[in-house]
Amino acid sequence: MPIRVLNRAISQAISWSLCAIFPDNGPIPGLTRQSTCDRVEQVLQEAPALLILGLVGSWVAFVLAPVVTIGWPVPALLLSNAALDRHASKMASHPWYWLRQPMLMLKTVGGAIWGERPEVRIALGLQPFDSDPGTWRGDFEVQADSSMNNSGPS
Amino acid sequence: MSQGHHLAYRSGQPLSVVADYVVVGTGAGGSMAALILARAGYQVAMVEAGPWREAKDYPETMLGVMRDVFPDWGANVAVGNSILPIVQGRLVGGGTVINSAIMVRTPDDVLVEWQRDHGLGDLFSHDAVGRVQDEIERELSVEDSKVDAGAHFGRSSQMLLEALQGREMEAHPMRRNVKGCQGSARCLQGCRHGAKQSTQLNWIPEVLERGGTVLSCAPVSRVELKSGRAVGVIGRFVHPQTRVKGAHFAVEARRGVILAASATGTGPLLEASGVRSPALGQYWRAHPGAGVIGVYPDVVDMYKGATQGTASIHHRKDLGLKLESLTLPLELVAGRTGGAGRQLTGRLADIRHQAMWISAVRAEAVGRVKRGLFGAPSVYYRPTQRDLERLRKGVSLLARAHFDQGARSVRPGVVGLPFELGPDQLHLLQQAPLHNRAWTWVLSHLFGGAVIGDDPRRAVVGTDLQVYGVRDLHVVCAAALPTTLGVNPQHTIMAVAWLMAERLANQDRSGYT
Repeated sequence: MPIRVLNRAISQAISWSLCAIFPDNGPIPGLTRQSTCDRVEQVLQEAPALLILGLVGSWVAFVLAPVVTIGWPVPALLLSNAALDRHASKMASHPWYWLRQPMLMLKTVGGAIWGERPEVRIALGLQPFDSDPGTWRGDFEVQADSSMNNSGPS
Repeated sequence: MSQGHHLAYRSGQPLSVVADYVVVGTGAGGSMAALILARAGYQVAMVEAGPWREAKDYPETMLGVMRDVFPDWGANVAVGNSILPIVQGRLVGGGTVINSAIMVRTPDDVLVEWQRDHGLGDLFSHDAVGRVQDEIERELSVEDSKVDAGAHFGRSSQMLLEALQGREMEAHPMRRNVKGCQGSARCLQGCRHGAKQSTQLNWIPEVLERGGTVLSCAPVSRVELKSGRAVGVIGRFVHPQTRVKGAHFAVEARRGVILAASATGTGPLLEASGVRSPALGQYWRAHPGAGVIGVYPDVVDMYKGATQGTASIHHRKDLGLKLESLTLPLELVAGRTGGAGRQLTGRLADIRHQAMWISAVRAEAVGRVKRGLFGAPSVYYRPTQRDLERLRKGVSLLARAHFDQGARSVRPGVVGLPFELGPDQLHLLQQAPLHNRAWTWVLSHLFGGAVIGDDPRRAVVGTDLQVYGVRDLHVVCAAALPTTLGVNPQHTIMAVAWLMAERLANQDRSGYT
């Protein structure tokens, strides 16, 4: 149970940053906290540890970076919406590679969640997706084709 | 009458299988070799790390693709002085499920180079490669993309074709292994229409019909060596969703073990198996590429048409460039587009007006692959200055081509340049920074790590097709290719695997082993 609580807390934190990176813009919908949080939680449950580590590290960088991006020595969590937007934008194009990389990580996951949202796809004039089946084939047998030569050298 | 078996994830008792040949990997190389050996009458067992998914199982979303199709959610990267994503498939059919179905014949200059510089003799002669590529094209329904098929070709591909031909450059509709392509631009996610002739639709079923066995969800941990001979492989099933480890498996090979675990997998697997060679993991190469998006006043709808329809090898020999159209899913465009916040969502609003064209470089950089933490491949790769210069030329050329077609701006995705360039700002692109970290690269065509050649100091596989120092152990995938190609490698990998498997079958018959 504690792991689920931790997962939910991490999902909420990460989804907050993703919503800041993909906000509404006029007719184009952005990410919403609740649905993003649910999707991030699913990702955390299924993704390998390396990816989760990368996401959490990127979130930490995003929270701590305002001092570098906009010169405000406060965590991004305390920024106003306008300042947060400016911080996100500056971090994405910052000259420091190792500051851009965490942003790229967040954008990759955030972009995947944003781009699959039906509201977004409809607003952009694209076909919405069906859900992912997540299925695969189990055991099966195939009767050998008698017209084929299967009695080889062995 | 014998039966073919597909054996998927299981827990509990260990599983044992015996076959004449065991083939590790089910992509272009592995499935081709397995098929040729099965047709020669051998019992073949194929072992694949990922699950077997049919068209109806393919994911819709990009997160679904990351989870269900890419190894480790796409976390595989090459590291040098920058981080370069590696695109590969981990499922039955391997890369053939997620590639753009491009079939390009092996250029003659490559075959000459292999013969001249790597001592391959007539192993891959022009005639031999041509003969099997004729057959492969017939079997996989290879055809030119139909430009007149409207939405099936796609406006983005059509515009690139017109733009390059307008500049009197060589450009052509791609030859692809598709049957009834509907132009859904979803090759990368796996073709849900079953149009792309990936190997799990044709060759692997035929191996089963010939009494073969396929193990899926079965990553191989080691090749078993006994008295200097490869006698089988061992590993443990892994659940495709939870990644929980299941039963152990062992596949005994009476005649030989054939590795086709890709340029990132084969070298580390040989290393884990105790094979020692100064060339192991070395000579790792790639075609790194970067895209430039053109934004048009009219709707382009790159999501209608072939994922990749047009290619140009006009500058293949002088600059090592390959120019192509490419449809990248919205989700990936969102990650790649510069900026964040309201600025970013605003920049994505015109997605239907965007066309993406890419430049890939026949890079001269040479990297290495080795077994990293927890057995995952660790790739070191750093494009050279000359590679960067060539990439910059290719991207500049494509940007000009976009403007020829009436684009109002281009988005090169280069840090240090304005996000968007107009026609009068092309000079900025020509002076773009020559540093890996400034560019948004992707590595899609990978080569080497266990290359073939006549010198054991520079090659892992000898011209007798065996790994140096180990009898009956062979490599038939891109890992064996000693150079890059400058064209899409799928057709070459298939032809090389065919010829190697054919020779193995013939050698067996003549009592070679």
